Amino acid sequence: SYRISSDGEPAKFQPPPKPVIIDKQKQKGERRFLSPEFIPPRGRTDPLKFYIERKDMIQRRKVFNIPEFYVGHVLAVTTADPCANDKVNRFVGICIQRGGKGLGATFVLRNVIEDQGVEICYELYNPRIQAIEVLKLEKRLDDNLMYLRDALPEYSTFDVNMKPVSHLDHEEIPVNKLQVRMKPKPWSKRWERPKYNIKGIKFELPEKKMKAAQKWSQPWLEFDMLREYDTSKIEEKIWKEVSEELKK
Amino acid sequence: MMPIWTKSGKKHAVTLLKVQDCHVLRYISKEESGGKTSQLLVGGKNASPFYKSESAMEIFKEAGVPRKQKVTTFNVTDDAIIKPGTPLYAAHFRPGQFVDVTSKTIGKGFQGVMKRWGFKGQPASHGQTKTHRRPGAISTNKAAKVYRGKKMPGRMGNIYRTSFGLKVWRINTKHDIIYVNGSVPGHTNCLVKVKDSKLSTYKDCNKNPPFPTFFADGDEKLPEDLYDEEIFQFTDPSVTYA
Repeated sequence: SYRISSDGEPAKFQPPPKPVIIDKQKQKGERRFLSPEFIPPRGRTDPLKFYIERKDMIQRRKVFNIPEFYVGHVLAVTTADPCANDKVNRFVGICIQRGGKGLGATFVLRNVIEDQGVEICYELYNPRIQAIEVLKLEKRLDDNLMYLRDALPEYSTFDVNMKPVSHLDHEEIPVNKLQVRMKPKPWSKRWERPKYNIKGIKFELPEKKMKAAQKWSQPWLEFDMLREYDTSKIEEKIWKEVSEELKK
Repeated sequence: MMPIWTKSGKKHAVTLLKVQDCHVLRYISKEESGGKTSQLLVGGKNASPFYKSESAMEIFKEAGVPRKQKVTTFNVTDDAIIKPGTPLYAAHFRPGQFVDVTSKTIGKGFQGVMKRWGFKGQPASHGQTKTHRRPGAISTNKAAKVYRGKKMPGRMGNIYRTSFGLKVWRINTKHDIIYVNGSVPGHTNCLVKVKDSKLSTYKDCNKNPPFPTFFADGDEKLPEDLYDEEIFQFTDPSVTYA
């Protein structure tokens, strides 16, 4: 249908406006994640040693894909095992700790299988690892989930045949603000003390005990200048180096 | 120190040793040294020439080389003599050889008898009066003296010690780094002497080493990294068992 303008002539055909496509991936910008084992520890070692170690780590990452993961993700790791039936061993678990620097970097996976808690410490750069799949992406409130050993077993059980939960690349990794309920005391460590700085436990202890635990707090630690280790500039340099090498 | 994996999946710990500005300084003939073989003086890491006397600097001036931090002697047979002033590189060693590494251990200062000699000390409770880490008796009644060399508290560490029979896993020719199995005496960044192993089990392991040494301006062009046969190289796919 054509409208008749004030002049009395039919209006010229106006094509509909072009749709504006917003590419959310490009809008958010590339997420920079540098695996923590690339950052060299503070010390008097020659930086040449870290450079050579990084070359080896990048070489391994080119051949074998190590996905981005944090503490709190649920991973499935398949390793070559000479004693297994199929010579392949698959373990599913939640990552409770990432330790070590350089080629010796490790991560600990925890799961409860048939009412028995099992923790396996894997080395990231071990050549026997065939595949690492991220099944569920979620960060937790803490960097170290060792308290799951003293929590109720339901918080550490994960189905061995779990399907991977889909996650889009550009979305932020969700933080699970779950407060975990614990078994009755005694625990393996006194998690209520401020030195562990745990935010992910629902402490059902009386107020008196929580106040008594604050006696061990060391409020001067955050102002100690000798303990400061500013890794931002080192991270920038290493991130540039690593991303350039991996793109080749 | 770094981990290293073999093709069968086993992990070994490895120490990295850097060959930094090594030059041959002087040749000492058999008669001059007074020993069974002739000797070669070799110097390591460059250092400032201003903190030594002129007489000490003579050796370096003759060889035409900057002053070295550490100077050691190697006993060499007559067919392995090298001209003073030639640089020595990490490619002198090859993967699969076995070496002995000598260095000064970490100094621990004045230490008690439990740490220095591994004595058991005394119990912590059950009536012990002021005696928990002491040596106890130092001699018998009949001897009526204390023998020379009795283990007692004193300065521990900062002495030369050797680790024998260490396997060379890998050599980096670009940065002159030797990857040696296991641990080595000394702190990080300390100076170290690397020799071919004197153990009789490894006599035949050094097959066709670069003799007398690896010359950088020679015809041999080595790749950047030399690996042992059993090492897992990170360019290979993951290890599987058939």
